[in-house]
Amino acid sequence: MSSARDDILGRLRQRIGREPVGTPAARERVEQVISASQAGPRPSYDGDLAARFIERAKALISTVDDCAAPADVPARCASWLASQGLGRQVVVSPALAGLDWAASGLDVRIGAAAGDDPVGITGCFRAIAETGTLMLCSGAQSPAVNSLLPETHIAVVPREHIVADMEAAFAVARDTLDPWPRAVNFVSGPSRTADIEQTIVLGAHGPYRVHLLIVG
Amino acid sequence: MEIRSMHFVSRVRQRLDDTELQRNLQRTRGRNAAARLASLSSLDDFDAVRARATDIRASVLRDLDVWLERFEAEATRRGATVLWARDGDEACRLVIDIARRHDVKTVVKAKSMVSEEAGLNAALEAAGIRPVETDLGEYILQINDNEPPSHIIMPVIHKSKEQVSELFARVHGTAAKTDIVELTREAREKLRPEFLGAEMGISGGNFLIAETGSVAIVTNEGNGRMCTTMPRVHVALTGIEKVIPTLDDLATLLRILPRSATGQAISNYVSLLTGPKHEGDADGPEHMYFVLVDGGRADLIGGDFEAMLRCIRCGACMNHCPVYQTIGGHSYGWVYPGPMGSVLTPLYQGLEKAKDLPQAATLCNQCGVVCPVSIPLPDLMRKLRQKQVEAGLRPWSERLSMRLWAWVAQRPALYARGVRLAVRYLRWLADGRDRIQAMGVAPGWTAERDFPAPAVQSFRDQYAARQRRAGR
Amino acid sequence: MSKPPHGSCGEVGLFVTCLVDLMRPSIAFAALKLIEAAGYTPVVPDTQTCCGQPGHNAGDARSARALAQRLIAEFERFPCIVAPSGSCAGMIRTHYPHLFDDDDAWRIRAEALAAKTFELTQFLADVAGVTEVPGDFAGTVAYHDSCAGLRELGVKRQPRALLDRMPGVEQRPLSECEECCGFGGLFSVKYPDISGAIAQRKCDNIRASGAGTVALGDLGCMMNIEGRLRRIGDEGTQVIHIAELLAGRLDPD
Repeated sequence: MSSARDDILGRLRQRIGREPVGTPAARERVEQVISASQAGPRPSYDGDLAARFIERAKALISTVDDCAAPADVPARCASWLASQGLGRQVVVSPALAGLDWAASGLDVRIGAAAGDDPVGITGCFRAIAETGTLMLCSGAQSPAVNSLLPETHIAVVPREHIVADMEAAFAVARDTLDPWPRAVNFVSGPSRTADIEQTIVLGAHGPYRVHLLIVG
Repeated sequence: MEIRSMHFVSRVRQRLDDTELQRNLQRTRGRNAAARLASLSSLDDFDAVRARATDIRASVLRDLDVWLERFEAEATRRGATVLWARDGDEACRLVIDIARRHDVKTVVKAKSMVSEEAGLNAALEAAGIRPVETDLGEYILQINDNEPPSHIIMPVIHKSKEQVSELFARVHGTAAKTDIVELTREAREKLRPEFLGAEMGISGGNFLIAETGSVAIVTNEGNGRMCTTMPRVHVALTGIEKVIPTLDDLATLLRILPRSATGQAISNYVSLLTGPKHEGDADGPEHMYFVLVDGGRADLIGGDFEAMLRCIRCGACMNHCPVYQTIGGHSYGWVYPGPMGSVLTPLYQGLEKAKDLPQAATLCNQCGVVCPVSIPLPDLMRKLRQKQVEAGLRPWSERLSMRLWAWVAQRPALYARGVRLAVRYLRWLADGRDRIQAMGVAPGWTAERDFPAPAVQSFRDQYAARQRRAGR
Repeated sequence: MSKPPHGSCGEVGLFVTCLVDLMRPSIAFAALKLIEAAGYTPVVPDTQTCCGQPGHNAGDARSARALAQRLIAEFERFPCIVAPSGSCAGMIRTHYPHLFDDDDAWRIRAEALAAKTFELTQFLADVAGVTEVPGDFAGTVAYHDSCAGLRELGVKRQPRALLDRMPGVEQRPLSECEECCGFGGLFSVKYPDISGAIAQRKCDNIRASGAGTVALGDLGCMMNIEGRLRRIGDEGTQVIHIAELLAGRLDPD
């Protein structure tokens, strides 16, 4: 008995009418499409990318704050959490371990979030102005769970990481990420559902709040 | 999933008479269509994006075998295992094998329409593995005795919050809540331990990306992320038609999928998953599998219905369908409702099992106009009707009357006599009134509305008389 | 724009449509009057019958092709073909060429015919550039966009623009005016309860519009909507074909 794979591919070839000799040409065509990847039509945007990102992020019900320098990040996280009454306990992605968290007065653990961590703080690989979206890449320094399990997610967004669109972010990723991350997560505001009566409710399974700290 | 499309007519009648269902359908009617329209303005040129999206999907289908091989090679290189299933049963066997190999007791599932096609939940249960649906809507259906979804992206669009409240109180043994926020939190609290405890996560896949060997999963709730991050094993179960070439193509399609589905510029979470966890990663599955299911897809390549494989499962066609919005998704009797379901169901399950679906459409072409990948759905329904005629699946009386009509209409003199006869007959039925309220030749018409009495003479006769009078 | 002299603009082949011929000849007479008023000479080939749409939609491709060939042969001599129906004009314009996908000779003829076939209001507004219409209707009018006219031919602004030329007409917006009325040809008799439910919604919207008259461009939809209104006891709302409305009183026979 032939394998399911051979069966399916064989049927496809038969339906496509591919002669065995034609396959290398098709393979070449496929490689060509990938190596000369063409972006489709992209909405143009003339203004300041950061302003666009912030506007779109707010529309997605993220909250946005900015701070002048990376060194200010811990204190700004602490003051925002205090202002929201969200406590002091945070889990911070290892990528941000170099910041001076001790001085912030927060109860900080560096590492990956567990199910009961109330606040997760992450960096971000790139931020996408077109839609107000964070692009987070998983890795030893940036566990995916930190933006997922806690009820509050704070993302630190270096201003220079804000790019126009997903294509631009992918271009950077192709050039700089090796190995390719297991998970690339695009996050656009708090988790939500509209399954019951199409009424939007935040915090379906992931965070109830996403707070963005634009740095620089 | 067991098909019930052959009982379409009686299922429709029940649903038209179900006042609660009708109320629920009307509550949200038109909302997604309006949101879709509003969201298109944030694209400079929607038509250009649509054309590009169409082209991406169409070009892959032309070389689908090679794209699949390319995807498989890349996914394998990144540490995933790619398996193939000829049909739903084979897919279920593969998933169960994987579960057994990794000693899995509980599976958390993100939404996967292919798993509905395959009847995966029932198969898992029969194998002693507990599946837990985690999309809020799918979860509601599962705890309601495995009720099937009525919409591909809003599975419980047919339910009211009161019905959900009653269900939660009964199944969870909690106090009844009427606030949707509270109901959602209750489900969250029920499902959180499942995410943390399950050994395996099953997801569908919105797209498979050949460039990187990844699966892209689009959700709003975050359950897709949970299912693919927390358990030791991740299985992505998708149809073989889901491949797209590159990440740039993904970016294009993501401009059009959420907008078409819910009117969002982007869904909350888009996850691009590539292989198992890396050394040193704090999270992620240790094993990643793809199960690529044919289930009737390969047979559509190169034929009249290939365009249907471009479908990206956005649901816009049903959101805009006057029939779907009147009868609800369950009437259609299988996994996929609405216009796309009316085409897919007979193709995947057999023409004879879904005879009504391609017929029960007004061909108003709202679906064709809104489809983000330009699938000519009404044309495909017409082609299916043609296949039904060829296969002898239409009543002989209908086939005969069509033939007779065409035969007469090719003979103008005879046709003119026929028209005269018809006018006389209809006027006799009207019996001096301006309308006919019961008509034996078309009882369906007069069951629902009056039929007007025709004018005394047909146009052709009046016109001929006029021309004669004018001496022309 | 001044009125062009009678008949100076050339011949127009009028495809009456089988339904208008049988049920409501006044629509075709109205179309004749409008085409004449626009400065064209309407010609009505007397051997015309049906465009083949019923067969096409019922999956009887052979019948559809046979009738299409007849119609093409009958009408291809005209510089312009007009039908008082978006559905039949749409059949010719968008479906005919595909009936002959595997027959080059006929496909070319079908394409040529398709390119010069118009729905009546499309012809009047876009081809003839009509700025005056003979009708003198006075009252509130809501316009329902029939599916094929709207989505196959892009008929949307034309009937409304023509109605704007009638001082007595007060146009009222119709909620969900682009939604199907539930007619769908044989669908209406094969699935009467679905069709009736959709028609009911259309009638509810029409009644909510407050218009005394609903106008539209397809007799099938018209019979469906009018029939439903009457069945639910609405004897007051007038349902009228756009041609009849624009043409006004017809010459006594």
